[in-house]
Amino acid sequence: MVARLVKPRNIRIMAVLTLLLALIAGATVLYIYSRTYANANRLGLTMHPAAFESIMARIRPAMMSMIAASAVLAVVSLSFQTIVRSRVLTPSMIGFDSIFVGTQTVLVFVFGAYSVWFQNPYVNYAITAGVMILTSFLMFSFILRSSKNNVIFLLMFGLVLSGIVGSGTRYLQVIMNQSEFFHVQAATMVNVNNINTNIANIAFPIMAIVVGAILWRHRRLDVMALGPDQAKGLGIPYERELRIHLILIAVGMSVATALIGSLTFLGLLAVNAAREVLKTHKHLPLFFGSSLMAILTLVAGQAVMELLQGAVPVTVIINLVGCTYIFYLVLKENKT
Amino acid sequence: MIEVKNISQSYGKNAGETLTNISLTVREKTITALVGANGAGKSTLLSVMTNLLPAKKGSVSINGTDVRKIKTAQVARQIAFLKQTHQLSIKITVQDLVEYGRFPHCGGRLKDADHEKVAECIKYMDLGDLAEKYLDEISGGQRQRAFIAMILAQDTPYIFLDEPLNNLDIKYSVEMMKIVQKLVEQLGKTIVVVLHDINFAAAYAGHIVAMKDGRIYKEGTPAEVITPEVLNPVFDHNFHIADHDGKKVCLYYDDNAAGE
Repeated sequence: MVARLVKPRNIRIMAVLTLLLALIAGATVLYIYSRTYANANRLGLTMHPAAFESIMARIRPAMMSMIAASAVLAVVSLSFQTIVRSRVLTPSMIGFDSIFVGTQTVLVFVFGAYSVWFQNPYVNYAITAGVMILTSFLMFSFILRSSKNNVIFLLMFGLVLSGIVGSGTRYLQVIMNQSEFFHVQAATMVNVNNINTNIANIAFPIMAIVVGAILWRHRRLDVMALGPDQAKGLGIPYERELRIHLILIAVGMSVATALIGSLTFLGLLAVNAAREVLKTHKHLPLFFGSSLMAILTLVAGQAVMELLQGAVPVTVIINLVGCTYIFYLVLKENKT
Repeated sequence: MIEVKNISQSYGKNAGETLTNISLTVREKTITALVGANGAGKSTLLSVMTNLLPAKKGSVSINGTDVRKIKTAQVARQIAFLKQTHQLSIKITVQDLVEYGRFPHCGGRLKDADHEKVAECIKYMDLGDLAEKYLDEISGGQRQRAFIAMILAQDTPYIFLDEPLNNLDIKYSVEMMKIVQKLVEQLGKTIVVVLHDINFAAAYAGHIVAMKDGRIYKEGTPAEVITPEVLNPVFDHNFHIADHDGKKVCLYYDDNAAGE
């Protein structure tokens, strides 16, 4: 056991994970600084310990939400990449985000911003998650139907679906009244400074279950990465595992998005960066690596946003880095 | 014992049957070769026998139990198979691949006994020097051997191979069939193999199943099957059979060779 841990590969993984933890600690300090001393300096005030404490009381839930949501996004993105066998797809990219925004918009449009359907976090979450699970099953029935490589088809279907849902959503947002629109925006934009604690109460346990259930399957995922035929040959009930993962992914995506908003590129960026630095195909280290990578990206992005006084939204920062990285990936895959 | 009873299989509702009423008992501790023209249903039959494709009509049983009633993990301890295309999208080493072969036994948590088995299979397939190499760094023949090592690590009495000689040159093809022969003679495995080249079947198989249009046209020993009367209709081509050192050799390069 000890001998296996000190293999060069495992030493590398340990080193990378430690480095990521250190970077996250740095980003956290930067984030706390940006919310406290940076603001005080800008206004020419001195930071009073009591004031610092009161700001910290608001920073803690924000930090927890960022950490939990990014970890969930990273974990479901990795599991998704394994089951669709593609390194360049994430649940967000085939329209999960747009379905979330669409559902929120329809709820406000049909029932009003103050109705129980929209305001009650439990009801709202149950509806959103339900819609996302249904859609994911609709999409994946195409993959399940034949053994052929349907990733391209899935991508096309997802793009068309998110196009339709996206434009429908925009249409509703244009014709709804302004206060309703602000409610929708508040519910869907990435915003960690005003975490809805009501959502957090149900979000954290659900996230823990989703992450736990996927992590528990890491050895089976390792085998599933060999492909459906090999996995079945090695005794994996492939279709059943696929369905379980689809439910977990849909639930995880909906709860993470409900908690902090839609972060399209975070999952893709984190998972691929983790693969790149860890150089392993085993899911357990990849799960930890990509979660840490996602946390680092979001916290650091949030800190930069705070330092720029909100001039650049955090999604823009992440998308900028994420898109550049995807370009790099596509160009690199083309070469080999 | 693997028994196939009255299997019929079709893709889609309107498509014709790819397999029609196939019944077959796999001979123990023998190489059984499935031969036939393209589209005769060899690969489909192999997929059904390994439960990769659930049988639509009829049944496949292992030691008397219907394979559909056995858990996938349990089946994987009885039957190992290698598909025609086994390209992997992930970059792993030979060692990793062979370790996956132990999955049906240990669920991915390899114990000392599993590590020993893996080392043994790597040694048996003569892959010792290549164990730490990545699969895309080695030759096609070596890769094929690595996959066979994985299947050996799975430690099953039955092994199904779908065209293992695909993309292998003559040297590696012969080497592969020698290995398959060794698995039967030394380890007592039961092997079913789809072969494209009828001469490889004639030279190495103990039992040959000739298929045509989704049916079994004829099964028997090489002496019974490798005859112009069987092969001409099966392959829709004229065959000339020659004897060489007691083995049959098919000559099929000249259409007019028949009838000599």
